[in-house]
Amino acid sequence: MNHPREIRGTLDRRCFLGAIATAAGVPLHAALAQAAHDQGAGLRAPRPTHHAPRARRLLVVFLTGGFSHLDTFDPKPTLTRLHGKPVPSTGLRPEEAAARPLLGSPFRFTPRGQSGLMVSELFPRLGAFADDLCVIRSMHTDIVEHFQAVLAMHTGSATVPMPSLGSWLSHGLGTFNPNLPSYVVLCERLPYAGVQVFSSGFLPPIHEGVRVIPGAHSIADLEPPPRPLALAELERMMLRDIEDRYQAEPHRQARVRDRGATFEVARGMMHEAPDALDTAREPARVRALYGVAEGDRTSFASQCLMARRLLERGVRTVEIVDTGSSDNWDAHGNMHDHVPKALRVDRALAALLGDLKARGLLDDTLVAICTEFGRTPWTDGPSGKGRNHHARAFTALLAGAGVKGGIAHGQTDDIGESIVANPVHIHDYHATILHLMGIDHTRLVYRYAGRDFRLTDVDGEVVREVLA
Amino acid sequence: MAGRGSLLLLALIWTACRAEGGDARLDFFESKIRPVLVSSCLPCHGGKKTESGLSFRSREGLIAGGDRGPAVVPGKAESSLLVAAVRGVEPDLRMPPARALPVQAVADIVRWVNEGAVWPSDDPALAARSADRKPHWAFARVRPVAPPVDRTGWAESAIDAFLAARWSASGVIPARDAPRATLLRRLSFDLIGLPPTEDERTAFLADKSPLAYARLVDRLLASPHYGERWGRYWMDVARYADTAGDNADYPVPEAALYRDWIINAFNRDLPYDQFVRAQLAGDVLARLKQTVDPQGAVIATGFLALSRRYGTGPYELWHLTLEDTVDTTGRAFMGLTLRCARCHDHKFDPIPQRDYYALYGAFASTAFPYAGSEEFWTRKTPRKGFVAVGGNESTLAYGVAEGKPADVAVQRRGDPGQPGGIVPRGAGRFACLEMPPAGSAGAGESGRLALANWLVRPDHPLTARVIANRIWQHHFGRGLVATPSNFGRSGAAPTHPELLDWLATRLVASGWSIKALQREIVMSRAYRLASNAPAPSLAADPENRLYARFSPARLDAEAIRDAMLLVSGKLDRRMHGHHPFPPIKDWRWTQHSPFKAVYQTDRRSVYLMTQRLVKHPFLAVFDGPDTNVSTDARTRSTTPTQALYFLNNPFVREQASALADRLAAAASNPQARLEHATLAVWDRLPTPGESASLLGMIAHYKAAAGNRPGSDREAWASLAAVLFSSSEFLDVE
Repeated sequence: MNHPREIRGTLDRRCFLGAIATAAGVPLHAALAQAAHDQGAGLRAPRPTHHAPRARRLLVVFLTGGFSHLDTFDPKPTLTRLHGKPVPSTGLRPEEAAARPLLGSPFRFTPRGQSGLMVSELFPRLGAFADDLCVIRSMHTDIVEHFQAVLAMHTGSATVPMPSLGSWLSHGLGTFNPNLPSYVVLCERLPYAGVQVFSSGFLPPIHEGVRVIPGAHSIADLEPPPRPLALAELERMMLRDIEDRYQAEPHRQARVRDRGATFEVARGMMHEAPDALDTAREPARVRALYGVAEGDRTSFASQCLMARRLLERGVRTVEIVDTGSSDNWDAHGNMHDHVPKALRVDRALAALLGDLKARGLLDDTLVAICTEFGRTPWTDGPSGKGRNHHARAFTALLAGAGVKGGIAHGQTDDIGESIVANPVHIHDYHATILHLMGIDHTRLVYRYAGRDFRLTDVDGEVVREVLA
Repeated sequence: MAGRGSLLLLALIWTACRAEGGDARLDFFESKIRPVLVSSCLPCHGGKKTESGLSFRSREGLIAGGDRGPAVVPGKAESSLLVAAVRGVEPDLRMPPARALPVQAVADIVRWVNEGAVWPSDDPALAARSADRKPHWAFARVRPVAPPVDRTGWAESAIDAFLAARWSASGVIPARDAPRATLLRRLSFDLIGLPPTEDERTAFLADKSPLAYARLVDRLLASPHYGERWGRYWMDVARYADTAGDNADYPVPEAALYRDWIINAFNRDLPYDQFVRAQLAGDVLARLKQTVDPQGAVIATGFLALSRRYGTGPYELWHLTLEDTVDTTGRAFMGLTLRCARCHDHKFDPIPQRDYYALYGAFASTAFPYAGSEEFWTRKTPRKGFVAVGGNESTLAYGVAEGKPADVAVQRRGDPGQPGGIVPRGAGRFACLEMPPAGSAGAGESGRLALANWLVRPDHPLTARVIANRIWQHHFGRGLVATPSNFGRSGAAPTHPELLDWLATRLVASGWSIKALQREIVMSRAYRLASNAPAPSLAADPENRLYARFSPARLDAEAIRDAMLLVSGKLDRRMHGHHPFPPIKDWRWTQHSPFKAVYQTDRRSVYLMTQRLVKHPFLAVFDGPDTNVSTDARTRSTTPTQALYFLNNPFVREQASALADRLAAAASNPQARLEHATLAVWDRLPTPGESASLLGMIAHYKAAAGNRPGSDREAWASLAAVLFSSSEFLDVE
């Protein structure tokens, strides 16, 4: 097991403990019992799990736009054989229903690894990790619009705004490193549904995903304005002087102490986050492994490397969003549009898995590679080469801590249109992730507007077959 | 399967079910079993019809069973006919007959039977018992209460007497009266959201008359900035946004008219009953000439029009939008969480599912505007449904109009694909069982006006209590009911029920004047207490639920920004107006490339453009409004991102530099400068200790910098930034 690194930097032990206890979100009015409880416990302090966790950190790789299960991890020879045969199709809307020809995958599948798991030629390098991958071929979701489906994959809700998976984990488990956010989203371009995707919803805002926009200004206000060092020190001394005097009255002590702690954490972030996010500090050999070129701060590969650096520094949940709401996996016109998308992520994802494994991080890190929905077995549009959105069946991957590698779970029919065995709803997927992190999804609740809310609403079953 | 009769049955089996003692099996029953039994079994086995002599109305009924014998043997699923029937293993015993239950529902029933077929003890059969039970306080009429007599002589007002009556028994003694300077700052932020200016401070502190405070209250209540502060609270409740929330988040430039209407309504103290009626049915009032302000009334329906949009085309996923309309209406005016009743009878409150669809029907019979969405670009569907203000087509508002009236069907389990019986639109009791139901809509009407009129009846148990509580909440930081939009059984009980009823009664008696109520509250001695309290009182009431001291609170996002702008001298006090959206002909946003903008301005924060899909970067850091859901109380967090903002954000630095320049212009003497600075930011002079320390540090810095040009301005700008991040600036006592 590889444990998160010790906290370094300028914090002394007293400040460090204080920072843990009050790393955030302390409502001045303990208006609700929950808020008071949270305040007492420290909103991001590590918390006990419901059962022994298999994974202590989560890495989500979200491939935006709906990658095709039929062209990646769910091979359908029958579909290839029936290529061109018209079948009744359902459109996104009822009026779009029409007979459309089936579309065989233009990509070749081969058995990979010891397990012989079938992976298409779109992912030659990721395929090398077949024995670590658990391919769930029987995912299904509720809505075929990008926006709603992306939200559902992140929050369990396609409709009303709800907290994101990473926010729930921050709320339920806390985090290891108070100098860094507990949920970091590496996201150069916003996916569908925008910031709602990593929103804390009704949970205290400290649990919201902190978006890192790879590049020069990755976290808002992280970089100090250009000024002499002595001026920063002057400000620090003046603030301490002012606050010390102000808290001479006892009823102010708690507030001043809590606010002081947030300034310490902020300075901790200023100190630690630039290093954590600076992939240039990696040896050339490692950068070459991922495919990060000299001076590159924005590529997907660079984000993968950042993700590893954040995970090893004790961030609870790191999410990488590969691309935004345009120019993504939404291949209506031509399945060959998947080629550049896959090329962009294949090497780096394989390097990331290999790197996590080599460092022992994969022993306690769960990796979830997913998308919002699948694609139809029939063609879409006049070109006859692309596929439409499809919610009734799609594929998502798990890998790493606590997961059986080299298996395919669930089964779709001969053309990949519907599920014939072991359906896994997005609620089940979430329940399984929480289970691996040591959380009973039915007990991770938050009382809001008079009712207990859960990530999995009132559903969700842990998919026991994929647990190692 | 359930037909038209099911509604009657739903009503019959309605019961105010309460969660009991956190028994997981009861939760399981409520979440998994009850909905299935209600939607799939009761229509034929329960009310008028009891097919095969079997009744699902009670656990006893199931155990007694019907013609074929016991339907449920608790603990033994394999011996239970119910389980065999839903499994459909025997061809002649397959239930429900029309459509098999989902596999998961069958598994749930098996589990439920095996775990003992647990059923809440106060449930059905219970239809009879629930009538005996004392109604929940909020659903019972407001009682006129006389304030208690305060024998200690402390109380100066009725409000004081209500509060003081609880203190001695609880071991609490009131804090001292707050110093006048503290009071000035508190009242100014509270009523107008801005700190006092130097002139205002001087004038108030110099006014030694016993009426000085009352005059201050009146002056602030009359300030045009008052509406900008108090209107914003209502905008939170109304989930106000400047965009629609569809997948491309199209702008709604006309929403600003509704924002300005709210601000003006508070400024001119529009009676609350008219405020409610205008927002729910202003278009109808204008048509019927039942309002003195027909233009404003039409704009006011922006409350409904601003319901969240979904999807990529006009009126797509419309049931979700109407769900938001129902939910927000319930929370805002009634303090009820109606959303629970979308799928089943409300679990906690006596709100049958049909009430939900009665309200839903009223809104489904309403014509909503369409502000654009992805299809605006791809298919050129024009914006439509905007309403003309005052019959003048040149000014269009984002409001609603009467649509095609139609009663809607209950959506069983909240699924539009499973229609149940038809409900008359508008008519419902919404838990107010002592009242006649809201009048059903006349032919050709949506029923919104009847509903609005019902809500503002003086004897309505919720309307006045809910708004009086909201007003109290913003003055004292916490409502007498700590869940201001949930007065139901799952919400918090009032800490001072008599006081709440007294406030509600006063409000109605004053002709629904919000300002009169506020004047009464801020004139009370309780409002004027200091924040520090004797240790025994702190220990006896750590959360200050008894109001024996004043709870300090962090300024909200708007006040932080507005106060910095005021102090730096850059605040642009112009009111109202539109955002600089691009011209409509250029609108081309899609879900792949949604609308996203931040418009810089030095005007007050209530005029910042807020979107549904993107948070405003400043408001997001300080727990700003949620533009997607009706919000009754904002979180007041203290986070590292806020600290980063104060440490490094350019806006803070700009205001700090501007303040430093003002200080330099006002005085060259460091002590005098410091006095200007702390007066501006803290409303007080520095203590000798503070002066010595801070001026010493500044001098030391300048000396270390060799007194180079610029070092003086740098140091004072740094001091200004530090003052902005100090607790004394951020927390109002």
